[in-house]
Amino acid sequence: MNRIRVAYRQDGPARFVSHLDILRVFERAGRRAELPLAYTEGFNPRPRLTFAAPLPVGMSSAQEIVDIDFCQDILPDELVAALTRQMPGGLTILKGRIVAAAGPALMSILDRAVYTAQGPLSESIPSNEVDTRMESFLSRGEVFVERKTGKGWKRKDIRPGIRRLTWKNTADRIELLMELQSGSWGNVRPDEVLMALAEVLPLQPHQLSVCRTAMLARDGRLLWDC
Amino acid sequence: MNRLEHILPRVEKPGRYTGGEYNSVEKKWEEAEVKVAFAFPDVYEVGMSHLGLQILYHVVNRRSDALLERVFAPWTDMEEQMRTHGIPLFALESHRPIRDFDVLAFTLQYELSFSTVLNMLDLSGISLWAKERTHNDPIVIAGGPCAYNPEPVAPFLDAVFLGEGEEGLNQILEVIIRTRGQSREEILVALAQVPGVYVPQFYDVHYRSDGVVSEVVPNRPGVPDRIVKQIIADLNGAPFPTRPIVPYLGVVHDRAMLEVFRGCTRGCRFCQAGAVYRPVRERNLPTLLDQARELLRNTGYDELSLTSLSTSDYSRIGPLVENLVSHYAEQKVNVALPSLRVDAFSVELASTVQKVRRSSLTFAPEAGSQRLRDVINKGVTEENLLEAVGAAFTAGWQRLKLYFMLGLPSETLDDVEGIAGLADKVLAAGREARVPRGRLKVTVSASSFVPKPHTPFQWEPQAPLGELRERQSYLMRRLKGARGSSFSWHEPEASFLEAVFARGDRRLADVLARAHALGCRLDGWRECFRYDLWRQAFAETGINPEDYAYRRYAYTDTLPWDHLDPGIGKQYLVLEHRRAMTGETTDDCRHGSCTGCGLCPAFEVEPYTAREPNEPH
Repeated sequence: MNRIRVAYRQDGPARFVSHLDILRVFERAGRRAELPLAYTEGFNPRPRLTFAAPLPVGMSSAQEIVDIDFCQDILPDELVAALTRQMPGGLTILKGRIVAAAGPALMSILDRAVYTAQGPLSESIPSNEVDTRMESFLSRGEVFVERKTGKGWKRKDIRPGIRRLTWKNTADRIELLMELQSGSWGNVRPDEVLMALAEVLPLQPHQLSVCRTAMLARDGRLLWDC
Repeated sequence: MNRLEHILPRVEKPGRYTGGEYNSVEKKWEEAEVKVAFAFPDVYEVGMSHLGLQILYHVVNRRSDALLERVFAPWTDMEEQMRTHGIPLFALESHRPIRDFDVLAFTLQYELSFSTVLNMLDLSGISLWAKERTHNDPIVIAGGPCAYNPEPVAPFLDAVFLGEGEEGLNQILEVIIRTRGQSREEILVALAQVPGVYVPQFYDVHYRSDGVVSEVVPNRPGVPDRIVKQIIADLNGAPFPTRPIVPYLGVVHDRAMLEVFRGCTRGCRFCQAGAVYRPVRERNLPTLLDQARELLRNTGYDELSLTSLSTSDYSRIGPLVENLVSHYAEQKVNVALPSLRVDAFSVELASTVQKVRRSSLTFAPEAGSQRLRDVINKGVTEENLLEAVGAAFTAGWQRLKLYFMLGLPSETLDDVEGIAGLADKVLAAGREARVPRGRLKVTVSASSFVPKPHTPFQWEPQAPLGELRERQSYLMRRLKGARGSSFSWHEPEASFLEAVFARGDRRLADVLARAHALGCRLDGWRECFRYDLWRQAFAETGINPEDYAYRRYAYTDTLPWDHLDPGIGKQYLVLEHRRAMTGETTDDCRHGSCTGCGLCPAFEVEPYTAREPNEPH
C-alpha cells in the first residue's frame, strides 16, 4: 500500500458542496481515472480516503488536503494529472506527494486552521472604534456561543480556541484573519467567531466570504509538510 | 451569480442551485440559435434521478446550434429567499433567468407536480396563462406521461408533445429556429404541424349539460383532429447519454442508469406506463454491454441500475447480468435490478448480482386475492409469490417488502384480508427457512389505486376516501398482531387529488390557478401538501372534485383525453375492461399470441426483442 497526499483548491460552485459530497467526488474521479485505489475491507468496500477536516458548506478553501491510499505504485505527478482531468467545476488539484502509508491520520495531527473573512460593515463606524471593540472582545476571558449537538443546543466557550485574530478595515468593510483550533482535539468554526463578533460590530456573518487558507500542525508546520 | 451567492449560504443544500457538476455542459450563450430550459417540477434530487432528463440533455446539447440547460423547483426555503430578494427562477448552467430562453420545456411525471409547474412559471415571471403571453416570453411546452391527459394544465401550456422526445424535440427546435421573428401565433401554428405536437388553444372543449365532455374539436383549419404519440422505432440506434451529469449531491437514484428496454407486454390493467409506452423494444445485448462500459468509465459510479418497466422480462437478462457481474465485480461495481417479477427466477437473478445480501427485496403482488389479481391481470399466483419469497429467504434475505394497492375496482374486504393473509404466509415461509426471529421483517406497503387515462380502468371511479381510510386502518390493525410485519401507506388525500387531475379536464385549470395563489406547490411532499388549501380552491372556484374522482364513465362517453392517441385502440380497452369485470385474464403478448391492442398495426412496428434466432422463448 502506498499513500499520496493531495492538495486541492475548492471554490466557485464547489463551495456549496458538503464534505460528504466531496468524498464522493474523489471516489468517482478515482474510478473514472481507473486509479489503483485501495479499498476498505468488509461488506461495503469504499476507497480509502482521509481528509484533514470537513470544510463548512459555503466557504472556499485555498488548500484542502486529502490522503489517498493505493494498492499499486503511482507517481504523484501522474495522480495529479489524472485527477485534474476528472474534477468538476470549482475543484482544482494543486499538487501531490508520497507520504508514509503507516503515518498518523491527518485529523490527528491537525491543530489549527487559518481563515480569512471579508465583507461589508452594515453601518459605517470610525476606524479606531473598530479597534477598541475588537481589543475589548479579545480581552474577554470567555466567549460563549450556542452550538448544535446531537441532543440539542449547548453553550460552548470558544475563546480558548481563538488562537489569533487580526483585522483591517475601512469605513464600510472589514477583513479578518483568524487562526482557530481545529482537528480531533477541539474545533472552533469561523462562523461561530463571526456570530460572536456580530454582537460587538455592525456585521452580518452570512455577508462575509470566508476562505480557509491554511491548516497547521501543533508545531506550526503546514499540514502538507507533516 | 452575485446576488445568488448572498442567499445560498442561508438555504439548505445550496448545491441544488449551483450547477457545475461533472459532465454538465456549459455552452456559449451567443453561439446557440435556440436555447431551451428543461424544467423538472420537483426538487433537484428527484429531477436528477430521471433518465429522460439526461437523454434530452444529451440529444439537444450534442447539436451545435442549440443548448439545453436545467431548472428544478426550489425548495421552500430557497423560494422564500428568491422572492424576498427579487431573484427570478434561473437555469443551473448559465444562471440566466428562465425568461431569457426561447423554449421552456416541462416534464410532467405525476399529477401532483401540476401546481409546481405553475409556481415555476410564476417564479420565472412568465404569465401563467398561455393566452396572456407575448412574443417576449419563452414558448412553454410539456411532455412526459401526464402529457397523455394534460387537460387540467392545458391552458398554461403553449404546446404539448406526446411520446418519446428524442426525435420530436429536435423537430420542435427546427420549427423554433425557422419561425424566428414570426408572431407567437404563427409559431404555434407551425408547431401544430409537427407529429405528436398538441397546441391546446387550437382546440375547443364542449360539455354536456351533465358536465361530461361532449367533444374536443379544432377551432382552426390545418391542425389534426387527433394527436398521435411518437415513438423511437429502433432503440438500438437511438441516442443514449453515456456521459450523464454526475451530481455532487446525493440524489434519489444516485447510480448509472442503463435503459434495457422500453415498453412492457404484461398488460396489467391499472398500469398507464404499460399502456402508453408500448410496444416493447429491447436493446441488443452488445449495445447494452458497450453502453454499460461507457457509462461506468464516464461517471465513476459504483452502481449500475438496469432500468425498464420489468427488467427480469428482458429476453437476454441471464447473459446480461452474468456478463456485467463478471466484468465489474472486481471494480466493486454493484448491479441493481429494480422492478423484478414475482418468481423464483427473479430471486435467482437478484442473488447473482448481490453477493452481500443486506438490502431488502421488494415484490409487488398488487392485490391480496387471486380473484382480484385476475381482475387487474397481474399474472402472479400465490404459489409464485411463496416460491419467490422461499427462494429469497433461503438465499439469505431477511427483509422483504410487499407492495399492494387498495381500492382496486371490485375490491371487497375479503381482498383486503387477503393482503394480511399473504403477509402471514410470507412470515411463515421466513420462519420455515429459519430466518432468525428478530431479523425477519416483512413490510406491507399499500398505496391507493388511481384510475388512469388510456388504461382499461379509465372509466372506473376511485374508491371513496372514507373507504380507503377504513381499509388502511383495517390492515394496520390486522398486521399489528403479526410479529415481524409492519405496514406503510400513502396519504389517501394525495391519491384522491391525483385521481381528480389524472382524469380531469380543462375546467380544473381555474382550480390549479386558485390553489397556486393560495400557496400550493410541491404537493408530492408530505410536509408541503395542504389538503385544506386544495379544498378551499375547489370551493372558491365552484368545482366539485368528487365529480372527477368518483365519476363512472360510460364506454360511449367522450373522455377529456380521447383526442390524444397513445396508439392503443379504445375498443381494446373496452374489451379489457369487460374481461376485467368477469375476471378473465389476458396473455402477455411476448409469448406469441397477439392480444390485439392495435398498437403494432397503427405504428407499422412489431415488438422487438433481443432474442437470438432459434432461441426458445
